[in-house]
Amino acid sequence: MKISKDAVRASRLLLRACFDASGRLHTSRVKRVVKLVGEKKPRNYMAILHSFQRLVRLELEKRTAVIESVTDLSGEMRERLRVDLQKKYGEDLTLNYFINPSLIGGMRVKVGSHVWDGSVQAKLQALGESLA
Amino acid sequence: MSSILQEIETEIAGLKTSVTKSNVGVVREIGDGVAKVEGLSDAMLNEMIEFPGGLFGLALNLEETEVGCVLLGSGENIKAGDEVKTTGRLLSVPVGKGLLGRVVNTLGEPLDGKGPVKADQFYPVEKLAPGIITRKSVSVPVQTGIMSIDAMIPIGRGQRELIIGDRATGKTTIAIDTIISQAKQNKAAEQGKLSGHKPIYCIYVSIGQKQSSVARTIKILEDAGAMEYTVIVNASASDSAVSQYLAPYAGCSIGEWFMDQGQDALIVFDDLSKQAVAYRQVSLVLKRPSGREAYPGDVFYLHSRLLERAARVNENYGGGSMTALPIVETQAGDVSAYIPTNVISITDGQIFLETDLFYQGIRPAISVGLSVSRVGSAAQTKAIKKVSGTTKLDLAQFRELQAFAQFGSDLDAATKQKLDRGARIVELFKQQQYQPKSLPIMVSSLYAMQKGYFDNVPVDRIRECQGKLEEYLTTRKEALMDKLGNEKTLDNVESDLKTALEDFKASWK
Ligand SMILES: Nc1ncnc2c1ncn2[C@@H]1O[C@H](COP(=O)(O)OP(=O)(O)OP(=O)(O)O)[C@@H](O)[C@H]1O
Ligand SMILES: [Mg+2]
Repeated sequence: MKISKDAVRASRLLLRACFDASGRLHTSRVKRVVKLVGEKKPRNYMAILHSFQRLVRLELEKRTAVIESVTDLSGEMRERLRVDLQKKYGEDLTLNYFINPSLIGGMRVKVGSHVWDGSVQAKLQALGESLA
Repeated sequence: MSSILQEIETEIAGLKTSVTKSNVGVVREIGDGVAKVEGLSDAMLNEMIEFPGGLFGLALNLEETEVGCVLLGSGENIKAGDEVKTTGRLLSVPVGKGLLGRVVNTLGEPLDGKGPVKADQFYPVEKLAPGIITRKSVSVPVQTGIMSIDAMIPIGRGQRELIIGDRATGKTTIAIDTIISQAKQNKAAEQGKLSGHKPIYCIYVSIGQKQSSVARTIKILEDAGAMEYTVIVNASASDSAVSQYLAPYAGCSIGEWFMDQGQDALIVFDDLSKQAVAYRQVSLVLKRPSGREAYPGDVFYLHSRLLERAARVNENYGGGSMTALPIVETQAGDVSAYIPTNVISITDGQIFLETDLFYQGIRPAISVGLSVSRVGSAAQTKAIKKVSGTTKLDLAQFRELQAFAQFGSDLDAATKQKLDRGARIVELFKQQQYQPKSLPIMVSSLYAMQKGYFDNVPVDRIRECQGKLEEYLTTRKEALMDKLGNEKTLDNVESDLKTALEDFKASWK
């Protein structure tokens, strides 16, 4: 779908309205925006909604930490990670845990476009590249 | 043995604790050699972005939620959803003496099958031009070995002289001749001749040309023994538009290394019209707004920042220089088109080649009236200055009178003499391709012309006579020629040269 510049601009304004003063994204506001746009049907409303969806997704990704490890992490470990990451990215960061055996060992944390890679797989890859 | 074990141990210990931090993104859309990448929030402008499979892209458009990357290779295996990451490096090329004699692409990778390139260093492709404080005015000549240029449109080291003309008017040939001439002088200097000669290393950047033309150029340079002083950067017509757009900058960095070492370099961009077209293509697929002739708004900056990098720096900064010979192709001799006017306004003069002259057999087909060198005689050796001071004027007057003479038959003696002299100078300046002349030979020929030694030679035999004279001087008067080459002034050799010319004239018939 071709999304015009106007639609992108409109969706950006709508997204801004979903933040509160402290910069927190409110799910209730997002829901209300979608509902209102659907009812009022302004010009290009489908394009606006698609663009809005993308912006919300990117925004949520920025506020979601994806934590991959080979085995399930202990409760204590999870707690430490939560405290550390929330200190860095704010209280509203949600943490999602995944099991990924291809890491071989260690852990990989991704928040938005930032990645901390402490997995054995990444180290092997780096070693391989430095030898090549 | 134990030391290697220890090394491995420390390596492993380092790996244990190290966590790599990187910035990643996801390919959202790919096409026309451009990938739109979501994420990459830390990407810098012009940063190299690593794609899967060892492919690199260049971040050219930084937008709020995504980055537009042009791929520096074929993106056949890249698909939407692939993860890419920043490298923290700007696009750079290998530089150093190890590149001499090599043919490389825009990334500095070898294309000649002669093994890996030995680099001293890596230079970023986009560099800031030397500032005002570091510069010095141009005063040392680049001897092109093309008599008409050295006599009338002298080029100095650090100058930017545009070669402009329609297709197939001999633009490339002038650049190649200049490179061959440098090689000849460098060789002569190595053999102890040409005292005080500082070698010039050449970089030939070919942009958007047919592979066959490039191969021909390389062959010519090899046959002339010029490759050992030359680096060829090739982004041919079949390479991506990004490679073609970046090739001149890569070549420039290679040349700048020589300048930074206090040495002299000469760079040829063949040609910037094709580079502008490649840049236009890149801009259009990146959806940047387009302006006149559909070129993006910053096409002037594209060339100005490139040519500003040619400079002569002063002794405090090493005293090196880089001379640039950009080439621009015109359509039907129209110098007022967009790209030609841009480049003319940036350079320090132009050599204008005309189709009409070319087909009249006047080769190199240099239009005397439209060609200038704004640095002019500041960058001319004393000897040449002395023997060619009025040549340009003589020729210009000749062309004017020639138009008149077609109508009237009764001409006064002075006019007739001017016409005769002009016709002979035109003949004298005709020159075979790939045979640049040495300084003493040029000076002697011009001296003979100035002093009237050619006046009683029929116009259609001038070139024959000139050829014989050159042969006579190189084989029989070697010492005199060497002396002239060393001293670069006529003061101490004029009488000897006179005798030599008289001897020659007596024997010639
Ligand atoms: N001084 C010369 N004497 C004889 N032939 C010449 C001379 N200069 C150029 N030529 C011939 O003219 C032809 C065109 O020359 P050249 O390729 O240098 O032109 P160009 O302007 O670079 O062309 P293009 O537009 O294709 O890049 C070539 O075949 C070349 O051999
Ligand atoms: Mg050419």
